[in-house]
Amino acid sequence: MGVTKEQVESSLNSKLNPSHLEVTDISGGCGSSFAVEIVSEQFEGKRLLERHRMVNAALEEEMKEIHALSVKKAVTPEQWKKQQESNQSNPAA
Amino acid sequence: MATILFKGIAARSLTARLTSSCYYGMRYSTKVSNDPDTHDDFKPASKLENSGTSLSDIVEQDVKDNPVMLYMKGVPDFPQCGFSSLAVKVLKQYDVPLSARNILEDPELKNAVKAFSHWPTFPQVFIKGEFIGGSDIVLNMHQTGELKEKLKDIVPKQ
Repeated sequence: MGVTKEQVESSLNSKLNPSHLEVTDISGGCGSSFAVEIVSEQFEGKRLLERHRMVNAALEEEMKEIHALSVKKAVTPEQWKKQQESNQSNPAA
Repeated sequence: MATILFKGIAARSLTARLTSSCYYGMRYSTKVSNDPDTHDDFKPASKLENSGTSLSDIVEQDVKDNPVMLYMKGVPDFPQCGFSSLAVKVLKQYDVPLSARNILEDPELKNAVKAFSHWPTFPQVFIKGEFIGGSDIVLNMHQTGELKEKLKDIVPKQ
C-alpha cells in the first residue's frame, strides 16, 4: 500500500502553504518514493536542515508508507525568484 | 523501544535476583561468579539488556569518535541504495576519513539512529558530532561550498 502524489501534495499544501509545489512519484507509480520541490514563505530564516525537517513533519503520516523522500528544493519565494531569473539568463545551465 | 527497555529492566532485575541467590549458594557451583556475563545461563538475558538500552550510546559514541559518520544502506564500497550511494560519492570528493555503519544489517540500530537524529530516512550524515542530514542536504551543501567549510579542519585520512 503506497501513498498517492495527491496525498503528498494535499498535506504539504495544507501545512506549509507553498507558493510553488512540485511532487513527482519516482517509484514508477507504486507510491513509495517521491521527489519534492517546494517554495514556501515559512522557510524564511530557516536552515536547510530545518526546512527538510518541516517537510518531513508535514508528511509524518505519509512517511510511514514512503520509503524515500527526496527534497530537491526547499526554498523561499525570494530564493525561488532568483533561481528562476538566473535560469532564464543562463539557459545552458 | 519502550518494550525493549521494559524487557531490559525485567532481565536486569531477574539477573540481580539470581546473582544474589547464587551468592548464598556459591558452594554448589564452581562456574558461577559474581559477574552474570560469565555464566552461560545469564547470557541471553544480558544480551537482551544490551540490545535495548545501549544502542543509543553506540550511536552517541560513533558520532563523537568519528569526524564523519555515515549511517547507510550497504557499505561505502557497495552501497545498496541510490541515496546512500550519492552521499558516499559526495563525501569521497573530500580527503577525510569516512566511517560508516550498515543499517540494513541491524534493524534495532536503524531505529536507534532514527530516534537519535529525529530523521526518518537513510542515509544519515554526521559531521563532528552534528547531524547534517540526508543525501539531498549533503549534495546541496557540496554545491554551495558549505560542506567544504564544515570539513576543512578534519585531519585528512592517512
